[in-house]
Amino acid sequence: MTDTALARRLQERLGDQLLAPVGARHDTTEIWVGPGQLTSVMTTLHDDPDLRFELLADLAGVDTGGVLQVVYHLWSPLSPDWLRVICDGLPREDPRLPSVTFLWNGAEWAEREAWDMFGLIFEGNRDLRRIYMPPDYESFPLRKDFLMPDDASRSPGLGVRPMEEALPPADPARVPVLRSSAGAGSLWSGTGTQVVGPGPATPAISAGGDA
Amino acid sequence: MTAEPRVRSLDDPEILVHSPAAIIDAVPPYPPRTEREAEFYTLADGEMFINLGPQHPSTHGVLRVVLKLDGERVVDLDPVLGYLHRGVEKICENGDWHHAISNCDPLEYIASMFSEAMPVLVAEKLLDLDVPRRAEYIRVLAWELNRISSHALFIGWLALDLGGLTPILYGFIERDEIVEMLAALTGQKLLFNYLRIGGVNGDLNHEFLSRLGDWMGHAAKRIEDQMRLMNENEIFVGRTRGLGVLTRETALRTCVTGPPLRATGVPYDVRRAHPYSVYPELEFDIPTRTEGDSYARYLLHLEEIRQSIHIIDQVLHQMPDGPVMAKLPRLLRVPPGRAWVAFESPRGQYGAYGISDGTDQPFRLRIHDPSYFTLQAVGELVPGHLVADTMAIMASLDPIMGGIDK
Repeated sequence: MTDTALARRLQERLGDQLLAPVGARHDTTEIWVGPGQLTSVMTTLHDDPDLRFELLADLAGVDTGGVLQVVYHLWSPLSPDWLRVICDGLPREDPRLPSVTFLWNGAEWAEREAWDMFGLIFEGNRDLRRIYMPPDYESFPLRKDFLMPDDASRSPGLGVRPMEEALPPADPARVPVLRSSAGAGSLWSGTGTQVVGPGPATPAISAGGDA
Repeated sequence: MTAEPRVRSLDDPEILVHSPAAIIDAVPPYPPRTEREAEFYTLADGEMFINLGPQHPSTHGVLRVVLKLDGERVVDLDPVLGYLHRGVEKICENGDWHHAISNCDPLEYIASMFSEAMPVLVAEKLLDLDVPRRAEYIRVLAWELNRISSHALFIGWLALDLGGLTPILYGFIERDEIVEMLAALTGQKLLFNYLRIGGVNGDLNHEFLSRLGDWMGHAAKRIEDQMRLMNENEIFVGRTRGLGVLTRETALRTCVTGPPLRATGVPYDVRRAHPYSVYPELEFDIPTRTEGDSYARYLLHLEEIRQSIHIIDQVLHQMPDGPVMAKLPRLLRVPPGRAWVAFESPRGQYGAYGISDGTDQPFRLRIHDPSYFTLQAVGELVPGHLVADTMAIMASLDPIMGGIDK
């Protein structure tokens, strides 16, 4: 039930900029691009009157275990399909790609989240700072080499996922762990500054009040 | 703190005074890291910062907003998130697909029947699973009931943020009846944990149906009462009409979905744009309005409650017999692949992007929450308005912090 006309049109317009032929499964058409072609591909998708992908439904970072990806989901009034754009091949050490905030400024926070969680650097985003984690936090929690202290996947009952086994301890630099947010030399440890506690002692304003 | 007085007095705008210490605390104690942060935390003459939250009741959760003010007018604002952050995407990766259901429950805690549907629908799409039709109808019934309870509360909160106490009481009466009804069905009042991969946890029972029958008898009248109470109320209309106007272009650019987008005239509702479950078999309208202001969003919520009642009516008449769970192995190994699902929650398009590597755990489960994007749009809407209207505009966009902070 995929939209073959859309796949044909995409192949025609963008075929030479894609990493792989246009794919489709379920109700989603899928294209793969490299970070170099992302800006022109997204601009075409957004502006071309035959494509008109005017709503950015989602922007997600993905850690494949090797390279990182950024996955966009787009909606167009002209097609019954979702369009998935996968920006592939971002190296772990320095994952840089252009921002899409020039088309959708709503992507600003989504890119901030992807930076916060995966360390993806979106060039052109004017506000790329952490959004969930504290500002002096150093790790990227959703990367596959970030292990949780009580990693449930390593308990015998649930089986072992090779992806998330602990790295050998010989190389501690490669194992990001939770670091204290107010250690010596931390941005928040100076005198006269405000240190925010681990969680505001909230009376659960809405969580209780709304129930 | 600078030696010169630089903040305009609230008593007399002609006089510049020193900032109180609490206002200075809003400024982060480190140098700006981005262009935008440098721009925001630089004060022009007469401007000052006000720190709102994270424990302010009108922020609808635990949200801190730094407001930059010139007198009573908001110049700019910087929301600070993360107070409710659990890292639910990481938690989901570390449990199996069934665990993800209850982990996603508290995201949209006003309407958790929707947020718990995310891992369910993704897994079903990856499994290419046919869900029994009775289960689909029960899901739609539960979703629409939950949508009504959420919308009823929205109307109450909106009025409460404008200073009116009565509507929230009516909102809670409505919500209470639905919550009791769903508690009879699911065993829970708030975090239902009712949907299952392949169906639902249990069939309809007598208590649920009898409560539902009672409620259906007066549901439509409640909406009329609500409209009589608020639609023509001079104070309410005066403080919502023409305020927080979102245009079609801004809404699309800021990725806003749900009632705020439909209030600008875009008939985008996932139930029709990308039909899922049994919505194609049901008859209902997608109400839209063109004004795009807070009042239009309020009216749209009322109209959506009516449409939901209409859907529930049809569901009860068309409900087929049969099983409510597909036959699936207890240890569910989801075939490798990628899937994106989206569905319409009371606040807009909920989305989930799941990747499976063939094990019983999600390799990645991306959660797209509409509130995250509507809260971002607050930054576009509020500048230029009075501080008192900030909360009204935010309430009319209806963000839920549980989903924003994930």
